[in-house]
Amino acid sequence: MSELREHERKTLLTLRSLGGRASVDEVAEKGNLAHAAVMRAALVLEESGLIKVSEERRTRVRLNDEGRLYAEEGLPERRLVQALKEMGGEAPIGSAGEAAGLSRELLAIALGWISRKGWAAVDRKERVLRMPIEPPTGADERLLALLKREGTLTVEELDEELQNAFKLLKGRKILHVEEETVRELELTDEGWRLVEKGIEAVEEVSQLTPVLIATGRWREVRLRRYNIKAPVAKVWPGKKHPYLRFLDELRERLVALGFKEMTGPIVELSFFNCDALYMPQNHPAREVHDMYFIKEPVYGSLKPYEEVLKNVKETHEDGWRTGSKGWGYRFSTLEASRLMLRSQTTALSARTLLSRDLEIPGKYFAIARCYRPDVVDRTHLTEFNQVEGIVLGEELTLRDLLGILERFAVEIAEADKVRFRPGYFPFTEPSVELHAYKEGCGWLEFGGAGIFRPEVTLPLGVDVPVLAWGLGVDRIFMMKAGIDDIRYLFTQDLEWLRAKGVV
Amino acid sequence: MPTIEVDYRDFLSLLGVDLPKDAEALDDVLSYVKGEVKLFRDDELHIELQDTNRPDLWCVEGLARALKGFLGLEKGLKSYVVVGDSGVEVTVDVRLREIRPYIACAVVRGIKVTDIMIREVMRLQDKMDQTYGRQRRRTSIGLYDFDLVTPPLRYGVAKPREVKFVPLEFEEELTLEEILEKHPKGVEYGHLVQPHPVWPIFIDSSDRVLSFPPIINSNDLGRITERTKNILIEVTGTSFETVLNTLMNVTLALADRGGSIHSAKIHYRYGEMGDVVTPRLETRSLTLDVNYVRRVLGLDLRLLEVKEMLERARYGVLGVDGSKVEVEVPCYRIDVMHPIDVVEDIAIAYDYNRIEPRWPKLPTVGSKAPQCILRDAVREVMVGLGFQEVLSFTLSNPENLYTKMNLNPEPENLVEIENPRIQYLTCLRNWLLPSLMEFLSRNVHVEYPQRVFEVGYCVVRDERAENMTRDVEKLACVTIHSNANFTEAKAVLDALLTNLSVRYKVEETEHNSFISGRTGRITTEGTDIGVIGEVHPQVLENWRLGNPAAAFEIDLEKVRRLL
Repeated sequence: MSELREHERKTLLTLRSLGGRASVDEVAEKGNLAHAAVMRAALVLEESGLIKVSEERRTRVRLNDEGRLYAEEGLPERRLVQALKEMGGEAPIGSAGEAAGLSRELLAIALGWISRKGWAAVDRKERVLRMPIEPPTGADERLLALLKREGTLTVEELDEELQNAFKLLKGRKILHVEEETVRELELTDEGWRLVEKGIEAVEEVSQLTPVLIATGRWREVRLRRYNIKAPVAKVWPGKKHPYLRFLDELRERLVALGFKEMTGPIVELSFFNCDALYMPQNHPAREVHDMYFIKEPVYGSLKPYEEVLKNVKETHEDGWRTGSKGWGYRFSTLEASRLMLRSQTTALSARTLLSRDLEIPGKYFAIARCYRPDVVDRTHLTEFNQVEGIVLGEELTLRDLLGILERFAVEIAEADKVRFRPGYFPFTEPSVELHAYKEGCGWLEFGGAGIFRPEVTLPLGVDVPVLAWGLGVDRIFMMKAGIDDIRYLFTQDLEWLRAKGVV
Repeated sequence: MPTIEVDYRDFLSLLGVDLPKDAEALDDVLSYVKGEVKLFRDDELHIELQDTNRPDLWCVEGLARALKGFLGLEKGLKSYVVVGDSGVEVTVDVRLREIRPYIACAVVRGIKVTDIMIREVMRLQDKMDQTYGRQRRRTSIGLYDFDLVTPPLRYGVAKPREVKFVPLEFEEELTLEEILEKHPKGVEYGHLVQPHPVWPIFIDSSDRVLSFPPIINSNDLGRITERTKNILIEVTGTSFETVLNTLMNVTLALADRGGSIHSAKIHYRYGEMGDVVTPRLETRSLTLDVNYVRRVLGLDLRLLEVKEMLERARYGVLGVDGSKVEVEVPCYRIDVMHPIDVVEDIAIAYDYNRIEPRWPKLPTVGSKAPQCILRDAVREVMVGLGFQEVLSFTLSNPENLYTKMNLNPEPENLVEIENPRIQYLTCLRNWLLPSLMEFLSRNVHVEYPQRVFEVGYCVVRDERAENMTRDVEKLACVTIHSNANFTEAKAVLDALLTNLSVRYKVEETEHNSFISGRTGRITTEGTDIGVIGEVHPQVLENWRLGNPAAAFEIDLEKVRRLL
């Protein structure tokens, strides 16, 4: 048997002192315990077979205001016969009522009960009352007197006569009646054995306090057992945003694979976002429905890039020294200086290729916010993250690019199979699309890649192959997080964020 | 990316082979031309094509032409020759120079016209007009029953009320002006001619109108029916090169259906341009070094293999000299600018999936951007302090950034978008707290206390920078619940900055977003790095928040400089 708690012990001991059987109220009063504490203890003790709990319904009755008046002055019919007696046993109804001091309503009530109880004859024709003998005190009157004396009585404890009287008085609406359930506790044989063997009441505490520790008193008290299965109030931990945590992990993996992180500005020169990537200035993708342009100021400065600007311009116009025939149109330097919101991370690759710190061989990546004038829906955002990078080195080939993509698919998307499809990007040739197969998800387009065109690399002063890759990280995250609406990447749903697990 | 609509039966009949009627299997085939099935219902097949520089593929005839090579059904260069002169001469009015200067024509004879063919040709015409022709601004196409036309022809001008003719799909004669008002195509494309006093008109020698370029054809001459045998193709536009390319694509498509190509002579009087014979279907030659192919692809291809792949990709091989291959590039391959374009086609013909991937072993050392160090440290401490990280858009609007924050708008400090697409995303945020307030306003029914933070970029103007702006990484945090106050926010600030080893002071200041007397400048070594305070009740009301809030925002770039 499990150890008894303080209240349980006290309840048992009190019950013994009350003769082994008592109501909860009695135990609470005698044991100086809260009613609720006795109830809780009783449930546990009953479960342990130490006591038996029986329930009884009790009808508690007391007088209401009218009842108290009757109790003071007697029932109206008694008051009437009393007056009649004094008038010689016979009198006109009106004068008898007057003598009894009854109001019209009470007189009517008194007359009704007199005939019901058969105390006197009522001659309605002559309007005269005749009483042969003085009627004895009835059970209802006795009960009334008892209630006046005792205040509250329990109906179930009354004798049969009084119980009938109770029904009568209840019908006269002069009683206040309450039903209640009384629980009675009774020690079982096992309970008796235990209390006879002797249990002591030790002080029990729920919270261990610094004082208890400092004074060493914790040795004397008993630390209450808790219901460790009880539910607790929710608390919310501080957490990283799930999508950012995913990008953090991705960053770590890319660093581990030997990639250096690139950074660059949100407001970008069209030169880096487009021109340096060999996107012709009349390309449909450079129109207002594909890029956000800046209202004020409209143009940035290409001063730091004069030489490379000239190379790029000539490459667009006639191919310059790249071996290309170029796009064959007149390149506008002003258009190249137009400011826009970065629409692709590739702008950072262009900046990196131009950087003085460029390492060959080198591996770079960027995780960057990009912007496109798309209407926001389940599959589109107007502002989103792209993960892109470049790998450059003397001997690199398409085989190496496929090798990089395959490794990404396996390590980042945990793909079971990969396949490659020809792709198209204005700045790469050959271009590849990476499809990854994952059990349960099917084939997923997971990234795009290619080898930068000579028209991109040579004007920026790079003459080794540059493999460029981009990953559809949003899709991978959505797949992993089990979401099918891309807007949840930037969710403003705090409940979702709180509930989202960290693994 | 253009999506083209083709008739599956027509596609198979042009291809001359049966293909599985299954979207996934078709995708495998279409991957050779960078296409993907978007819809496949009954015989209606919609294909999305990735390459924006290959208008030759934007019709069923061109697709079949390219795929025949990759599937090994027909290899090598498909030659297209002009078999003769159609006798068509077109004189061009010099006044068109400022309106729509260029025209080019061809005649294709002996075509078996069917219902399906008419529909497919209309689709080609429409696709070219919309995409390559930039909604007919750059080029537009007109087709005519050649046997009804009486050459020589004039590409001239007419005043809006000068000429009348029955436009396609109409029964009554309309003036050019009436066409712009009443004809659906006139309503759609009228803006292309409206600014000019006179408008383009294409007329034959008996003064019958062929068309009103780029708006609409004549219902009499410019309608192809099943009785049509010989077709006159006309393309007008603002770029001569584009006009020629468009004419070529339509001519080749009709030739692929069995027609023979005949030329036309255009008489220009623009000074630098004289007489021109169109269409132009000359191939180009290009020298390809097999070693270059090997170097790019990482494949040890034999010369014969290279030749085989070139022919599958429908190039011609004119000759071989050592490692050099003389490649003949078809006239329609306007995308081929550099030998690298041919190399890709070789790789596609070889099949990407036959190339064995290889992880390049390069001696590189990876590293995160230097900004990550502080950013991650800040995030770690804030999470440790019990704050939930949130992620919001850097795009915002002046109302959120100023009005709702109880501030007066300062457009001169904002970076606004010229062409916003979404009403509430019109500029870049220049501070972070409004993003968090918006977040809280969306969560008023969620259990409090709420404690959130964000580390994110804001953009401010900077005339000294090449892009006239500067990205500033900031941290903002806010605590909101029935007892939130300045003291709580300051305790968080203190915990953060102490852990970053930043010695700071909080000095009294005024800021309309915060309660006066409960607002502080956060300074370090005399520089302001941020602001802290109890959020002004007006701001709370503006965001419909019913609980007190305390917040701070600091500039991480400035903190970074101190580390």
